[in-house]
Amino acid sequence: MGTVYAKEPVINEDAMSNTTDSEDPTEGPGTSPESRIQHIFHGDIKVKVERVHIEGLGRTKEDVILKHVSQLFKAETFKDVIFTSGVVKQELEELDMFQGVGVLIDTSKGPKARQDGLDVTVIVKESRRITGNAHTSVGNNEGSLVLGAKCPNLLGRGEHLTAEYSRGTRHSVGYNATFTTPLQGDIGKRFTATVFRTSGDFLSSSYKEIDHGTLLEVMLPSFLGQHSFKWEGNWRDISCLSRTASFAVREMAGHSLKSSIKHVFTRDTRNERIYPTKGYLLQISQELAGNRLGGDVQFLKGEAEIQLNRKLLKDCVVSCSLQAGLMKPLNYTETLINDRFFIGGPTSVRGFNFRGLGPHADGDAVGGEAYWAAGLHLFTPLPFMPGRGGLGDLIRTHVFVNAGNLCNLNLAEEQTVHQHLERLRDNFRWSYGAGIILRLGRIARFELNYVIPKTALHSDSINAGLQFGVGVSFL
Amino acid sequence: MATPLVRQAAEIHNRSRGDQPIIAEYLELYQQNEVDQILLPEQTQCLAVKTFLHMCNVKFHLKMRSNAEQMSPSKGLPFIKMGPQIISEFEPIVEHLSLKGVSLSGELSGSQRALLKAYMSLTVNRLHLAELYITWCDKLTVEEITKIRYGSPYSWPLTRILPWLKQQEVGRYLEAQGWNNKTIDQVYTEVDMCCKALSDKLEDQYYFFLDRPTELDALVFAHLYNLLTTELTSAKLADIVKKYDNLMRFCERIRQRYFLEGEDGEDG
Repeated sequence: MGTVYAKEPVINEDAMSNTTDSEDPTEGPGTSPESRIQHIFHGDIKVKVERVHIEGLGRTKEDVILKHVSQLFKAETFKDVIFTSGVVKQELEELDMFQGVGVLIDTSKGPKARQDGLDVTVIVKESRRITGNAHTSVGNNEGSLVLGAKCPNLLGRGEHLTAEYSRGTRHSVGYNATFTTPLQGDIGKRFTATVFRTSGDFLSSSYKEIDHGTLLEVMLPSFLGQHSFKWEGNWRDISCLSRTASFAVREMAGHSLKSSIKHVFTRDTRNERIYPTKGYLLQISQELAGNRLGGDVQFLKGEAEIQLNRKLLKDCVVSCSLQAGLMKPLNYTETLINDRFFIGGPTSVRGFNFRGLGPHADGDAVGGEAYWAAGLHLFTPLPFMPGRGGLGDLIRTHVFVNAGNLCNLNLAEEQTVHQHLERLRDNFRWSYGAGIILRLGRIARFELNYVIPKTALHSDSINAGLQFGVGVSFL
Repeated sequence: MATPLVRQAAEIHNRSRGDQPIIAEYLELYQQNEVDQILLPEQTQCLAVKTFLHMCNVKFHLKMRSNAEQMSPSKGLPFIKMGPQIISEFEPIVEHLSLKGVSLSGELSGSQRALLKAYMSLTVNRLHLAELYITWCDKLTVEEITKIRYGSPYSWPLTRILPWLKQQEVGRYLEAQGWNNKTIDQVYTEVDMCCKALSDKLEDQYYFFLDRPTELDALVFAHLYNLLTTELTSAKLADIVKKYDNLMRFCERIRQRYFLEGEDGEDG
């Protein structure tokens, strides 16, 4: 909760011994031998916050702070005041505008001060105008070095402007500039605008993609979960990586423009993202590209993910997850390879190479328009290491079963839902195995597994035996 | 006529190269959209390859793709697809086909072959650069024809960005060749000199070498025919070619022989 300072003047021992379990909180000035007013504080004493001072504001606008500190006036008891101060401190820190926030509680001073009045002072230290940083970040199967510069609290209401340059292990180079601001002073609601350039090599499909684009996003919390509405305008340039790229991929080479809106709903009650032991995650998203929005590509895409975690006896956790996605090209167009779904890999269906599960053409993964993937895991602490403290806490063993299928459903054809579901069930692949996972703080997770793919198609790219993976989100 | 032994020896020789001894049943020729996208330099190269294939009596299927330029491994057009192999641009195609045993200049002597290569460099260098200049550096042509055609398969803002990027790329290439500082009149003079040299070599013959066509004929025909018939902002280029009667007759002769009955005879 941080440090809360409360000053009180010296009181004599008589009064002290009476306060510990007294029903009557105030002794009143008349009973004390001292002539000055004594202030005796414990949790349930009724107080009123008379004034709130804010110190340390420079470029920050007042109304932002006032929204948060005004709740102090509603506190009725001393316990309330202390608790609310902690909440205010946390909220102000979450705004990401200050280097430090401190709260000072004092009795009211001055001629008109009430007996039970309190003065609260909120002391903030603003961040510098521009800060730079260099850090590494971990994505799925890729690490990158990121150099960035940030202007926090640009206009005084919690707006941030960030510029980043990143270089990844898969030859990806990217830079982006982002402007984000809370809406209506509420930290839960954010508006973000980004201009970016990213590039990446996709060896499993023999192509390289360079993206330039802009992104506008609004995040709104609701009582059910988080909503995110996004518009993306993206110029994609695909080129083949080698002369031996398959013709199916070569035909997709070239420029395309995607203008799409996407809605994502997330409800995450897990206790942490990397190794959750309880709670569940539900994420549903829909994306519409093209049509009236402009651009070359036109499709409608929907994806859903659900993950359930439950702690069993002692330290064992059972986790089950299911992902599914479906896309449909609109207006008699065909989907491009960089819009399709891909599954397989150490962070997806294990036992297959990255993007290795699904339709292939001449050795290149071409992706599909419908998929599902499921995983069932049992995590246990290491059998011989004590579970508490030290390295034993970071390492777990797990036993798992993964399954999935990726195919094209040809939604244009006249088929019943039953036939489509059969198509998804036909030829599905599954694998099982065991391994150890290493948690890297709350940032990433390493996995080293021994996997046996039990069924696979001839065209899949499998990775039987040891498989190593690093990432943020796993199946 | 060949004895069985000679025939067997020829088969073994062909098989030992690891390639099939005969051209596949058909090959596919990829180019950009003829009607609304293709530009003068690419059209010339495509017509040259088509003429060459007609002269060699090789059947092909014409495929038009708006992203043909990005599909090509060297980013140059046209490219042909024979089974799994893809070869792009005129000279590599001619060379690849000659490896397969299909060639028009197989019977030329060493010195004639050297002369052929010299004249091919002449037409490639001068006429090709002139076409690139007129398409991408002549302001009027660029604004009214080139940018619109090049950006036509895309949506805004790519219709603006991509032609601009291509113009920068062509500008750099012409600068490396020393051509970006020329004026349009100097370019017309270059074209004129080139035509004169070709006209002098051709004289009254039917073809440039011997009495049968070679790849030089295909290339020259393609350049001249497109200079005569492509719609540009001015007819200056067509007028230059029209000055040389023997070149005009040469074009007409080739067109009548190879393109009047062929299924891919129409060029714009």
